[in-house]
Amino acid sequence: MPVDAEKEIAKLWRAMHSAQNEIGKTYYRWRQVAVECAGDGVKPLDVALRAAEVFGKDIGKSLLPRMNWLKGEEGFMMILGKALAGLWITDGGSATLAKGENPGEIFIKCTRDPWPSWAKEFGVPMEEVALSRERMYQAILEDVSVFMNIPLKIEMQKAIARGQGETVMRLYKAE
Amino acid sequence: MAKTLFEWDYSDYPGAKRYPHLFKPIEIGNLLVPNRIKYAATEENLNGLDGFITDSGVAYMRERAKGVVGGLCFMQGVYMDEARKGQGYVGQAAAWDDKFIPGLKRIADAIHEQRAVAGFQLMDCGRVGAVEVESGHGPSTVPQRLRIFKPMYEMTNAEVREMVQQHVDAARRGADAGFDVMEISGIVGYLISNFISSYTNRRTDEYGGDIRGRMQAVVEVIQGVKAVCPPDMPVGIRLCLEELLDDVRGNTPEESIETYKIAEEAGADYISCTLGWQESIYPVISRDIPMGNWVHLAKRAKEHVNIPIQMAYRLFKPGLPEEKIGLEELDIWEICRSMIADPLMPKKVLEGREEEIRHCVACNLCLARLFRDAPMTCYINPVCAHEANPEFADPAPAEEQKEVMIVGAGPAGLECAYIAAQRGHEVHVYDKRDVIGGTLNEARNAPYGDDELWTCIEYQEVMCKKAGVEFHLGTEVTDELIEDEMPDTIVLATGPVYSKIEGADSAKVVSLADVMSGKAEVGEKVVVWGNRKPGIGCALHLAKQGKKVTLVGKDKTAGFDVNPSFKWRYMIYMRQNGITAYSDCDIAEVSDDGIVVKTYDGYQWPIKCDTIVLTQREPNENLKKTVQSEGIEMFVIGDALIPRNLSSAVHDGYRIGIRI
Repeated sequence: MPVDAEKEIAKLWRAMHSAQNEIGKTYYRWRQVAVECAGDGVKPLDVALRAAEVFGKDIGKSLLPRMNWLKGEEGFMMILGKALAGLWITDGGSATLAKGENPGEIFIKCTRDPWPSWAKEFGVPMEEVALSRERMYQAILEDVSVFMNIPLKIEMQKAIARGQGETVMRLYKAE
Repeated sequence: MAKTLFEWDYSDYPGAKRYPHLFKPIEIGNLLVPNRIKYAATEENLNGLDGFITDSGVAYMRERAKGVVGGLCFMQGVYMDEARKGQGYVGQAAAWDDKFIPGLKRIADAIHEQRAVAGFQLMDCGRVGAVEVESGHGPSTVPQRLRIFKPMYEMTNAEVREMVQQHVDAARRGADAGFDVMEISGIVGYLISNFISSYTNRRTDEYGGDIRGRMQAVVEVIQGVKAVCPPDMPVGIRLCLEELLDDVRGNTPEESIETYKIAEEAGADYISCTLGWQESIYPVISRDIPMGNWVHLAKRAKEHVNIPIQMAYRLFKPGLPEEKIGLEELDIWEICRSMIADPLMPKKVLEGREEEIRHCVACNLCLARLFRDAPMTCYINPVCAHEANPEFADPAPAEEQKEVMIVGAGPAGLECAYIAAQRGHEVHVYDKRDVIGGTLNEARNAPYGDDELWTCIEYQEVMCKKAGVEFHLGTEVTDELIEDEMPDTIVLATGPVYSKIEGADSAKVVSLADVMSGKAEVGEKVVVWGNRKPGIGCALHLAKQGKKVTLVGKDKTAGFDVNPSFKWRYMIYMRQNGITAYSDCDIAEVSDDGIVVKTYDGYQWPIKCDTIVLTQREPNENLKKTVQSEGIEMFVIGDALIPRNLSSAVHDGYRIGIRI
């Protein structure tokens, strides 16, 4: 019997979204456990930011084999920007890259992000969603900066979680 | 007057006439070495987990010492710190205390028994060390690119000075153990190279900064080691002339040349010219790199320093080093992998027995084993690392001479044939083809150096002829032939059978052998069914012809049977050649215009193709029942037993050859 390609693609697409949904919610389930275990003396935001650091550090290590200076600083920044945008896409977002006006300046723009919706289901403050994303990306850059011997910074300029319609992160080389 | 350790006269040997430059003496420091051959220090993980030398390690070195016919023979590099941060391999020898000297002396003595020059190497593995402890050390804290290696932390100035002293102390122990030449290892990401490279040394003190600063620790090591060694003991160093770390901002070629000049100024008596780090993104010694690809670096080195330059790296045959030494572009031919594959390689060259050399196929299995804490083994040499076991390495003649029928003249059958014949059996090899080599006849046509695999068959053919094996080519073994011959033993080395798929009777389904030999008509869109080595080789072969190739197979990843030190090459080449790979998949259906792929979890999609190549293999059950019913002793080897790779075929053949 011939395969129905449309049906198969639809099945795969649904499965991918279902997997992303479960991964996002699992994060917030674990966050709840961690906050409960941490006790009343610990702020949930601190727990979330620590988790973001752990995630970021590990993701940063996985990026190192792909870091490449053969096309110079601009090429390197594009490779890194693509990796960071790709990470967001894997997480369920729609992210694109744009070159900044300054050399080596990259903007990562995310116009769709499911994380605030998942957070809302678990009663997590939106500011925590924005700060966690920023902290995770900063942690990713820690090892990358040392590895490539180049001071890298990333900062969040706009955030969907803050009701600003899109998330914009500026990746640049610190002077 | 330079010191001579052992007198060697090569004038009567055919190899010395053919390769006069390889067999002429050379002064290294104050030592006269009778030829230009060096077995370069190679880790083999054969020593104790506590760093003490074992019988296996001694026997391994004794064989290599025989091979260099009076030349330089280096034992593996030793680590020198009790804290074991410098230990890069679980079976690496240690020299951090005098208690190791007696064991080290056993190695020096074994080399001297063969009248060769014994070399001792100091090797702190630095960034790729700390194999048994939580963290390693280095000039600066730079995260590891590869997770297989431990995190490492910046050494204090005091720790740098301690490291220098550890080299000096270990060198003294090597000299006390009786070694004749001292060598400092500064290659592939080990500690000395970490100090030299701008990638890993970001210090701003006297051990960092520009290339002179980054060489300061190295200079102190060279001078300290020189001071403690006897005046007639040359001290050399292995240094990268190309780090191949451009992608992470490693040293420039000019800086690397500068390191050679500084090493010479510091008193080094020779330099071993090397290239690449373990974390380089470029391959260096695998067979996809053409033979002689790097030897121009030795010439570049010689243009800048006046001490002897040694080099290995894809110089597997004597012709090229002979030529380069003659042109004064190289001084000493270093050999590593080739003498893992055949420890007597240079000896055979000298004796005019080159056709008896079992050539390395540059698969890097030896390296893959080391990084996984396993003792060295060789893809192509079953005896490697078993030298201490005479029953295995040098099997006794058979107690009872048997008539042995070997069915299949592929690598498994041929290996078994000559070993059994050497032990006194009457061996007959049958093959329905009229040529030897089995499936390697086709496999050798795959790109990226697979033609070198054929050297295995060339070697086995010579050995079979020497051992008196009788060939019956173009003769298919049938039940009737077995009943007529009634040999004492039958070895089934018939190779695999290829799995059929539903629709296999379709005109578009072709065999691997027909594709690789150019007999099959292949369309422009091809599905290769089977994602192990034969499938990958076939896919690359076709993609090189401009075909659009899709590789589909049941294994979780393509190249399951390829060792990790080579597999990454195939993954890159598949990507470069536009090959799409679907692993963990089956073929659900063959239709008029293609196939339907089915994933392990039930998803399906169509792939358009006009040709399907069958490379998925199964054990071969043919003839087994007949042999068993006749009560004849039977062995099944190679792909006929379980389809695997060339190495398994050769090792199976050897193991049965010594058992019959």
